[in-house]
Amino acid sequence: MDIRVDKDACVGCGLCVKDCPMHVYELQDNVSVPVRPNDCMGCLSCHEICPAQALEHRGIYPARRHYIDIKVCEMLRKVI
Amino acid sequence: MSASYIDEMHEAFRSELVYRPEEIPLECTPGPKEMEQTLHGVMKLNGLIIRSLEEIAGRGANAVTYRAGKKFGHEIAKYFQKREDVEGALRELSDLLRGQYSFEVWKPEGEESFIIEKDGETFIYLVFHDCIVRQTLRRNGLEQGGPLCQTLYGYVVGAIEEITGRKARLEIVHTGPNACLKKLILK
Ligand code: SF4
Ligand code: SF4
Repeated sequence: MDIRVDKDACVGCGLCVKDCPMHVYELQDNVSVPVRPNDCMGCLSCHEICPAQALEHRGIYPARRHYIDIKVCEMLRKVI
Repeated sequence: MSASYIDEMHEAFRSELVYRPEEIPLECTPGPKEMEQTLHGVMKLNGLIIRSLEEIAGRGANAVTYRAGKKFGHEIAKYFQKREDVEGALRELSDLLRGQYSFEVWKPEGEESFIIEKDGETFIYLVFHDCIVRQTLRRNGLEQGGPLCQTLYGYVVGAIEEITGRKARLEIVHTGPNACLKKLILK
């Protein structure tokens, strides 16, 4: 798995370090570093918890999302 | 109720279609996009049933849903080929679950084999990717790992037991928005 952290965006809160079940991240100089990317199983809990949206996973399998309300998303897309 | 309203309502359920008993439908109607509302309705209903079950039965809710799932797993897997090897059983299981759930056998980089022996336990990690239960829970703002998830655990355990003839247990290691990690413990 190729995991990238936007160093400028990361605020060093350590939430991804605590939340990742596979201990993929470590805080180094107040920035999260993916030290064990090959242990990542793609749950994306880290994406959900990161307040800075600083994380990026490449090569991940995106699970099917049936729960998205397409009408709401279409409306939001017009606004944003 | 006005006559025009009744007429309008009746009109919506009329068609010119000639329907014969031998006409076997080869695809679902309506198309997927139109199914969205139905799907949301089913998810909402399932979410409410689970929430009510938890309110009334408390922790007992897990036992009920686990049992229901296990029975379902045994029932469905009865018609599948019996096999002793776990790999074959998992293949059968993945065919069985297709469309509702998808999973892969997984191991952390440091482990040599997919069948892991640790602290007197023999287990296999399964990563569940597509999962209709996860979708339903998130649609309803419910926590993952509760009674609805127990249905899936029961289902997997029931099916594995039926296919291999061995006792099994499934434990949650982690639940996430995109995938969940589970441990299939073989006895
Ligand atoms: S996706 Fe899951 S396993 Fe992978 S780094 Fe994020 S929290 Fe860890
Ligand atoms: S959760 Fe986000 S902001 Fe916090 S340490 Fe991790 S990457 Fe940085």
